[in-house]
Amino acid sequence: MSEQHTSPRDWHDRPDRVQTRADKRVRLEDLAGMVNDGDVVAVGGGLSSREPMAILRALLRRGVGNLRVVGSAHGIDIDLLCGGGAVSCSSESYVGFEQDFGIAPNYRRACESGAVSVDDSCCYTVVQQLRASVLGLPFMPMRSARGTSFPALHPEYKTMTCPYTGEELLLVPQLTPDVAILHAQYGDALGNLRIEGPPVLDLLFAKASRLVIASVEEIVPTERLVELGGITVPYFYVAALAEVPMGAHPTACYPFYTYDRPHTAHYYTAARGGAACFAADYLQPFVYGCADHESYRKRIGGEATYQRLAAWSAGTEAWMSLYREEATQ
Amino acid sequence: MIHDCSLGEMMIGAIARTIEDSTLAFHGYGSPLVQLALHVAKRTHAPNMVLVAGATYGLNPTPPFLSPTSNDWVMDRGAAHSLNIEELFDLAAAGRMGRMFLSGLQIDKWGNCNVTSLGKNKLAMKLPGGGGGCNLSCDVENLTLWTTGHRSPPDSSGRRRLRLVEQCDFVTSLGHRAVDGRTRQALGYRGKGPQWIVTDLGLFDFDTEGHARLRAVYPDVSVEEVRENTGFELRLAGTVEAVPPPDHKTLALIRHLDPLHVHEHETRAEDRGRRFEVA
Repeated sequence: MSEQHTSPRDWHDRPDRVQTRADKRVRLEDLAGMVNDGDVVAVGGGLSSREPMAILRALLRRGVGNLRVVGSAHGIDIDLLCGGGAVSCSSESYVGFEQDFGIAPNYRRACESGAVSVDDSCCYTVVQQLRASVLGLPFMPMRSARGTSFPALHPEYKTMTCPYTGEELLLVPQLTPDVAILHAQYGDALGNLRIEGPPVLDLLFAKASRLVIASVEEIVPTERLVELGGITVPYFYVAALAEVPMGAHPTACYPFYTYDRPHTAHYYTAARGGAACFAADYLQPFVYGCADHESYRKRIGGEATYQRLAAWSAGTEAWMSLYREEATQ
Repeated sequence: MIHDCSLGEMMIGAIARTIEDSTLAFHGYGSPLVQLALHVAKRTHAPNMVLVAGATYGLNPTPPFLSPTSNDWVMDRGAAHSLNIEELFDLAAAGRMGRMFLSGLQIDKWGNCNVTSLGKNKLAMKLPGGGGGCNLSCDVENLTLWTTGHRSPPDSSGRRRLRLVEQCDFVTSLGHRAVDGRTRQALGYRGKGPQWIVTDLGLFDFDTEGHARLRAVYPDVSVEEVRENTGFELRLAGTVEAVPPPDHKTLALIRHLDPLHVHEHETRAEDRGRRFEVA
């Protein structure tokens, strides 16, 4: 991403517009239509939680390509985009399924074949780069990462001697994603978002990106957002949103539903079987073979699946049973 | 009555012993052994430790059980507050984080770790990436490294893919020597670097030069076996002792905290039959 970062245009072309349309509700397909080939994309959520999976599936159905993905700790979201051939460069700091399933098969294949160029980053480096964008500054300084292999991978990082203390600092350039793709629990028609639980990088993504699009489990009146405990991302950052129940499936979106471990096990087996196996056993049935999100919900078992994943709230035993080994058989 | 324990439990006990009281400690993700070690330490010898959960950034949570993935609401239950990602990393950058835990598909003699890619000049294998490990390895005061893949049996062609190597193909997180040979002191880091490596064969500390040094082995492992499975010169810390098993309280805690046996996913299938006597 060096050429993106070093262009001086970047810090004059900040995302300084405010989004003031009174009603930002659109369809899921319209959200996907706002992402262009070649965009630098910041995907919200992290690991097995609150990833905007429905929007990503819609992007694959649209055939978007050459995306450059940036972020922190990701899993099935980036792996799916890689498996669908939509990514050309990854600056994520982690893409995997933790010890639960292991290395991300599609991501690994795409990196090793050269289809995806490896531009790995690190969480705090990304935080500092996003902060530069939020603050309207060309770069941020930090101490860390010097001495590791990251500066050689990223010639756009520079070092300077601190004029106050004389110590060596690393400068990392502003990162302004073209689009942030988020999934939140709640939103309102204006575009206010309420995220419950760990926000991961979503708030920084929202403040730093040129365009913010979001799916939400429920669109509610603004007063209801306040009752629920307040707004996480104020409306003027958000360009458009769609109500997409189970829009994060198979990742979790508490308090609505947990991580769907059996579905993820199926995904993983398909992905590990190779590109052809993944296309036949996963992409066809769950992405291209579903005309829209409604047909995806039917494909994954409809209301029964939702009820199974919502049962976590019944108590510890019910919650635990969703993750037992036999549940993935 | 508990008579014996598993390798995973031995490792959790060993990692827990590296955690001091009244410090701020953070675990990453994909690391149930470390998650359990922190919860054990908090409930035994380190009650005043500030425990920050990886992925959720929950503060002193009391999860009802260990979930198979880290960014799950299970893992921050009981936390009265959660940090956000920038605050967590700022704490480390400003020198307030006392201990963090890192691992690698390669760990070299200086404690550098690689979780980014294998292959020196050409990419041979893409690994998942290091999350925040790169930044934290530089900034956090003390590091405990761990791996469940130290034992590297030869494959059908007689080659070993060693986990403990002379030099990492890519340095994701920093040990005691930078890629250009500089020391942490020369780089001006506050973090003191790796202090321990807990493996499936034994326990290393680091000598004054910053080189890993075998300090203890499990009762079923010999020093010779460690040497065969180590890609760098094996330095010994005086007499190599036996890694002590965890006590009954620790084992009872582990079994209570991890009813789904999530941590066993982290140990190798061939190691799951190893049992260690508990006094």
